[in-house]
Amino acid sequence: MESLFINIGNLCREKVVELTEVLNLPEAFAGYFMVLIYAIAILTFVLLNAIVLVYLERKIAAYLQQRLGPNRVGPRGILQSLADVVKLLGKEDIIPRAADKWIFRLAAVLVIVPTVMVYAVIPFGKDMIAVDLNIGIFYFIAISSTATIALLMAGWGSNNKYSLLGSMRVVAQMVSYEIPLVFSMLGVIMIAGSLQMSDIVAAQKDMWFIVFQPVAFLIFIIAATAELNRGPFDLPEGEQEIIAGPFTEYSGMRYALFFTAEYANLISTSAIAATLFLGGPSGPWLPSWMWFLIKVYAMILFFMWIRWTIPRIRIDHLMKLNWKFLVPLSLVNIFVTGVALKLFSGW
Amino acid sequence: MYGYGLLKGLRVTLGNFFGRAVTEQYPERRPFISPRFHGFFQLDLKKCNGCGVCSLSCPNGAIQVTSERDENKKRFVTGYKISLGYCLFCGLCVEACPRDALRFTQEFELSSYRREDFVCDLLEIEKREKICSREPA
Repeated sequence: MESLFINIGNLCREKVVELTEVLNLPEAFAGYFMVLIYAIAILTFVLLNAIVLVYLERKIAAYLQQRLGPNRVGPRGILQSLADVVKLLGKEDIIPRAADKWIFRLAAVLVIVPTVMVYAVIPFGKDMIAVDLNIGIFYFIAISSTATIALLMAGWGSNNKYSLLGSMRVVAQMVSYEIPLVFSMLGVIMIAGSLQMSDIVAAQKDMWFIVFQPVAFLIFIIAATAELNRGPFDLPEGEQEIIAGPFTEYSGMRYALFFTAEYANLISTSAIAATLFLGGPSGPWLPSWMWFLIKVYAMILFFMWIRWTIPRIRIDHLMKLNWKFLVPLSLVNIFVTGVALKLFSGW
Repeated sequence: MYGYGLLKGLRVTLGNFFGRAVTEQYPERRPFISPRFHGFFQLDLKKCNGCGVCSLSCPNGAIQVTSERDENKKRFVTGYKISLGYCLFCGLCVEACPRDALRFTQEFELSSYRREDFVCDLLEIEKREKICSREPA
C-alpha cells in the first residue's frame, strides 16, 4: 500500500520507455511523456477533489446551520455536484458586448494555470513530489501570488463597475495578506533550514512544527483564509454591494473554471498547511499518502468550519487587521524564533 | 479575552454539526401539527341542527348554511358550504357553534387549482366519509 502510486508511476515509466524504443524516438521523449502523465494525474486529482469539495462544502454548511443540504440528486444528494457540472457545461457562453474580449476570455483560463502549477511541489506522500525543487515553498508563494492578476483581468475585462470594484478588492486583499502568509512560513523555514518540501517534512520527523510555531500557524490560517477569499474574508463577492465581484459577468464553463480554481486553491493551501505545520505525509500505521489526505481534509474541514461560523468583516477592518496586527505579529514571531534558535541551537 | 467570541461561535456551530437538523422534509415526512391547529373543518351531522350561528359569526361571510324543518318543526341542515378562499381560519364559527358540531381538523393541504374548488360542501364530505368508513349512520 505504501508505495502503491510510486509503483504505478514506475510501471508507467517502463511502458513509456518501451514505447519510445518501439517508436524510435529520442530518449528525452520518455521524460516529456512522464511529465505529461504526472500533469494529467495531478489535474485528475484536483478536479475530482474539487467536485467532491463542492458537495462537501454545501453539506458541511448545511449541517453547521442545522439544515440538511443537497439531498435530492442521488442518495443523500451525492450526485448534486455532477448535476451542477452538467448544468454549467450546458449553459450558454455569454461574453458581454462591451467586454474586452481577449482579456475576458484569457482570465478564465489564466486563473486555473497557477492553481494547478503549485501542485508540482506538494508532497502527496513519501517520495511522491512531482518536482522536489530546492526552492519548493518559494515556488509555491511565487506561483500562487500570480493568480491575483487573473482575477484583476477578469474584473477589468468584464467592463462592469461591480467587476472592477470586486477585482480591486481581490488585489488589495490578496497582495496585503501575502505578507503575513509568507512571514508565517518563514518561522517554519528557519527551523527546517531549507525551502525544499522534502527537507521540511523530514525536519518534522520527531515533532510537528505546529508545536514550535503555534503563532505562525494561527497567522497562516488567517492569512490563508484571506488569500483564498473565503469567509470571513470573502469580500470580493457580496450580493448586496458588488454582486459576484470579478465573476459577475461570467457564466457557464468560464464561471466553473473560477469555481474550480477556488477549490483547487483551497486544496493546495491546505496541503501546504499540512506540510509546513502538521508533519506532511508522515504518520504511523497508515500509508503516507493516506496520512497526507487525512491531514489535508482535516485542514479543509477546518477552513469550512470557520467559513460557515464567523460573519464577514468590513473591508477597512480587513486591512487594519492585516497591517496593524498580523504583519507586526508575524515579524515578532520571526524575531522570537530567531532568538530561540540561537539559544537552543541544538535544533 | 480577545478572540473568545470566535471560539464561542465555533463551539455553537460544532454543536449544530453533531445535532439534529431543524429542516422538515415535508412531502416525505408529515410535519407535526399541534392539536389546536386551525386546519380544515369537520361538521358533526348528528349534532348540527342548522341554526346558522356559525354563518352569522363569520366576519367574511364565508359560510352558507341552508336548513329546513321536518314534520315535528325540528330544524335540520340541508346544505353547508364554506368558501375557503374567503376564510380567515379565525375560528369564530367554531367558537360560536352552540352544540360543538363544528370543529377544526389537522388537515392543512387546502390549496387547489381553480377558484371554484375553494367552495367546500361539508355536508357532502361528511356523507362521503360516512360511506367510506362504513360507519352506522
